[in-house]
Amino acid sequence: MPKPISAVSSDEADVHSERAQLALCAGLLPVWGRHLSTSRAQSEGAVTEMLQAFSDIGPHINMAERQSKQINDALAQPIGGVTGLVEACEKALQPVLQDGALTISSRSAVEQVLEMVRNAVGALEQISKPFQHETQMVAEQVDRMYMGFQYQDRISQMLALIEGDITRLQEAFAGEAAQVPDLATWLARLESQYAMTEQHQDHRAIDRAVPTSSSSNNETTFF
Amino acid sequence: MAKTILVIDDSASLRQVVRMALTGAGYDVLEAGDGKAALALLDGRQVHMAVCDINMPVMNGIEFVKAAKQLPAYKFMPILMLTTESQDSKKEEGKAAGAKAWMVKPFSPTQLVSAVGKLCP
Repeated sequence: MPKPISAVSSDEADVHSERAQLALCAGLLPVWGRHLSTSRAQSEGAVTEMLQAFSDIGPHINMAERQSKQINDALAQPIGGVTGLVEACEKALQPVLQDGALTISSRSAVEQVLEMVRNAVGALEQISKPFQHETQMVAEQVDRMYMGFQYQDRISQMLALIEGDITRLQEAFAGEAAQVPDLATWLARLESQYAMTEQHQDHRAIDRAVPTSSSSNNETTFF
Repeated sequence: MAKTILVIDDSASLRQVVRMALTGAGYDVLEAGDGKAALALLDGRQVHMAVCDINMPVMNGIEFVKAAKQLPAYKFMPILMLTTESQDSKKEEGKAAGAKAWMVKPFSPTQLVSAVGKLCP
């Protein structure tokens, strides 16, 4: 039975609208894809650049931390260490100081020398301990920076997945309409490719307490 | 003599972070961008351990572990999986393939050095 005029024009309008939507997607998707690709490349480049600059500093910071610890350990050695020097000097000079024949000026000179040793040791300890604390603190911040740099890898993985999906969608639009999968199939396939918890959460629109949460799994599993 | 660790990851920046952490702790580092390139480096040279990503082009991390375990000279080489994957099913897959440990990115260099030290004493 022939369709009424109004129905024909409605069908034509639908077809026209679908074609317009397809043309819009066909024009936009490659542009989005290229933007994502450039974003990935630039973020990778930026992090590589920062890491290269940082690779010159990192080893020196590690060395400073190690050396400051070694200095403190060496100072604290009970035998031969600087901290033990005061005690050793006092012990060695005690018999001399107890000698009744010692003149006042000699006693004063010995006590003066002992005082100078105490002051020198005290000064060394005053310098080395805060230095170790500072280098340790810097090393901890360096660790945090190394962790921060790794987020680029996660971002890159997320963008690569979306980039691939955009390409797949373009191909689906370019092919036969019958080959275009339904939304549920498409979403299930996309979700099967996720590696990170936040991808699954975003996919299912699950709110996260901390938007960039990804460090909850930072323990090593040994098999 | 410093021990040699093979680092396998398709991300150059990630390899660099791992390299910095390991060289800072006194290890020598070899790098590969995927499992196939890593296998090519297992050519008889001494490699004490591998740190391997999962999702990589050409040959993924699980395939690499399986292939490395087939090489008599590297059969007992410990492999640490270093990946963004945190699902238990994936961990089981890694364990079944022959990996010795699993660490999720982003990792702390101290944590990585500690794990490498345990697996490669």
